Amino acid sequence: MVLDRRLAELRDRIRQLTPTQAHERLTAGELLIDVREPGELAQGMPAGARALSRNDLEMCINELAPPEASVMLICASGPRSLLAADDLRRLGYERVAVVTGGVERWKREGLPCVRPECIDADSAERYARQLNLPEIGIEGQAKLAGSRVLLVGAGGLGSPAALYLAAAGIGTLGLVDDDRVERSNLHRQVLHRDDRIGWPKTDSARATLEGLNPKIEVRTHQLRLDSSNIEDVFSDYRIIVDGSDNFPTRYLVNDACIRLGLPNVYGAVQRFEGQVSTFAAGGRPCYRCLFAEPPAPDMAPSCSEAGVLGAVPGIIGLLQALEVIKLATGVGEPLIGRLLLFDARTTRMRELTLGPDSGCRYCAKGSDFPGYVDYTEFCSAPGREELETHD
Amino acid sequence: MIKIELPDALRPLADGAREIAVEAGNVAEALDELGRLHPEARLRILTRGGQVRPHVNLFVRERDIRSGDGLATVLEDGDSLLVVPSVAGG
Repeated sequence: MVLDRRLAELRDRIRQLTPTQAHERLTAGELLIDVREPGELAQGMPAGARALSRNDLEMCINELAPPEASVMLICASGPRSLLAADDLRRLGYERVAVVTGGVERWKREGLPCVRPECIDADSAERYARQLNLPEIGIEGQAKLAGSRVLLVGAGGLGSPAALYLAAAGIGTLGLVDDDRVERSNLHRQVLHRDDRIGWPKTDSARATLEGLNPKIEVRTHQLRLDSSNIEDVFSDYRIIVDGSDNFPTRYLVNDACIRLGLPNVYGAVQRFEGQVSTFAAGGRPCYRCLFAEPPAPDMAPSCSEAGVLGAVPGIIGLLQALEVIKLATGVGEPLIGRLLLFDARTTRMRELTLGPDSGCRYCAKGSDFPGYVDYTEFCSAPGREELETHD
Repeated sequence: MIKIELPDALRPLADGAREIAVEAGNVAEALDELGRLHPEARLRILTRGGQVRPHVNLFVRERDIRSGDGLATVLEDGDSLLVVPSVAGG
């Protein structure tokens, strides 16, 4: 009775719209917020509405609209949106309206709804703390679920990236690696475990990731990428993460990304230092704009020879995961045209500006794809210094 | 005074130094000074012919010198020249 009286008072004070009126305003650009809990959204929500549960409304409304903006609220059948509207008015939002009859009436009147497939009860609970973020919400989660991301390498960079991307709900997560788990990997390659030494890394990765999040599809490619297979493998994916541990693969990854129009999320580590950047689809700049060609082996030792502090690829791999999430959801600003350097000794990050190389043979305007390069022989050949033509 | 900032990989070739202070008016002069003090470190950055190696980038005021005047990019007192080589580890 107390509630009925309260709702009656609110109906007198708060503007009410029919679903059709709200739909017209929504189409004209006005904000409509669905204040139901994430678990209730699985049955569909008004197309174009933003999800922000009543629980989080007051804390997060300023991220969606300033107090002077017009805001429409909708809930399941009506009462909750009235109470939520009252909350907003107390916060200083004067132009708040509610949709009478809620989503139930919205649907009965045949107005458009979206049914986000990723949000079943399990997903609503699993992703609750990122669904809460207005920038992600149900639409962002659906984008993550629809993403197809390939990690090149299930090692020091691929491990943290894979764990967090799987946990975040990337729908299809692929891993390429032809190595087996060794004990010396375990200080940094946290996908794997001591009792899996000798397993293919792809099998170990699958076991860990499916155990972490059974809602996603993990696909494994136990092979070494080369010019004959790279396009077949890459063509099923939309975002590539370069976590490889050698120059020949890094150049193949770059060149295939340019050729196939895929973004390349780059990370590399050595000793106490790491680098991360995102090369957009089509490059400009691409990895070759930054480093046109690989060094001779004596100029740059590999990770296994040089050593690396395990937390360094941990940090860089997670920055790569963050880049993927930003690319997949469209939230924030990816590291395109920027190179981030991390120095673990001083715990300093440095951001450098990268521009396209107008002479880049792979991504410069008007350049025809020059083909893949087999650097395996080139890198291992002795006396590269003598081969350099620009000396 | 110009500060040349060396990456981890090149420090063993410069007696472990993270930074080398030199007097120079442009990037080429700074690297010549580096070569006088630590010839092997310079050789990892420039070819014997004096070109920047294709796996190395040089940044002045956080910008790639290729977007400026390359090795002729002017350095002013207090500038730092950052050496960024490619690394492959993963």
